Amino acid sequence: MPRVFVREIPLLLALALLPAIGQAFRYRERISWDAPLRAGEETTVAQAQSWGESTLWVDARPEEEFEREHVPGAVLLNEDRWNELLPTMLAAWSPEKRVVVYCSSKGCGASREVARRLREEAQLKDVFVLEGGWEAWLGKRK
Amino acid sequence: MKLIRTLLAVIFATIFTSTASAQLTWEKKEVEVHPSVGDQDAVAHFAYQNTGDKVVHIGDVETSCGCTVATLEKKDVAPGEKGEIKATLKIGDRMGVQQKTIRVQTDEAVNPVTVLTLKAVVPQLLEISPRFVRWGQGEPLDVKTIVVKVGAEFPVTKLNVTSSDPTMETAVEEGATPKEFKINVRPKEGGRPFSATLTIKPDYPVEAPKTYYASAAVVNSAVKK
Repeated sequence: MPRVFVREIPLLLALALLPAIGQAFRYRERISWDAPLRAGEETTVAQAQSWGESTLWVDARPEEEFEREHVPGAVLLNEDRWNELLPTMLAAWSPEKRVVVYCSSKGCGASREVARRLREEAQLKDVFVLEGGWEAWLGKRK
Repeated sequence: MKLIRTLLAVIFATIFTSTASAQLTWEKKEVEVHPSVGDQDAVAHFAYQNTGDKVVHIGDVETSCGCTVATLEKKDVAPGEKGEIKATLKIGDRMGVQQKTIRVQTDEAVNPVTVLTLKAVVPQLLEISPRFVRWGQGEPLDVKTIVVKVGAEFPVTKLNVTSSDPTMETAVEEGATPKEFKINVRPKEGGRPFSATLTIKPDYPVEAPKTYYASAAVVNSAVKK
């Protein structure tokens, strides 16, 4: 390889690394795993379990999947039957509860949409989406 | 001269290699549909043709949501043959613009994955805000109002509202505009926590009436603002 390329490669790598370092420094809080979770965003199985009885689990999957198996004590609330299921979910809610919505990893847009509608339509605070969905619960359940 | 000949050889080789291949050409990769009020499904058709000279084998077809089902007529598409993938979104109680994707995997050498998009504009007969009114511990039992807005294209003239618990009173009045109603809600007593489901029935569509629900509750702790 010509010497000119051997000299230039480290310089090119260093130039490419500079903006990456800048971004990492600027957004260090967002990318940090120590950053606190904000209401309306994701939570983990471990964190939701640590909340104990103040966690209200909401299953956003299709009914047949819920009937097959679900997080113990979870209430079903999906967009297929939102109108009909919402009152039952709200009857289980109380102000000290933290709502954790989950769906299957395949359709996890469903849990985000259910969470969004709970915040906007029912004006609930402390609504979270379960990171990794139902599969994450299966992997971590005690 | 040697360099020019080499470059020309590479160019010609690329041209000939790319024409001797399988290729699905899609009529549209994004389809927008407008279901009517009362429709159960929103259906989109994604037409394609094999414009290559080899058979295309369609492998996995995966949708972004369990609410959307994709069906295909055939898995092997001969050169020149046409076909389509039908995507069916189960509307349920979804509202507004619903965008779902269908990921199609084939054995094409170039672009083996195609993402199709179904965009369904679901009409919103009623917009109910908020869906949930509540009174916390020690909070005065003042009237709280649920505003119901009717979609511009729908001729709703009346709402029938009932409460599952007579202790939670409701009264309907006209809103600021002809397309708006107000449901005034008030608990008769606040000494105990209880909840009620409010059933809301518009007078349209007559042939396929739709029922909506809101909730009202007296809760046993302070409500967060």
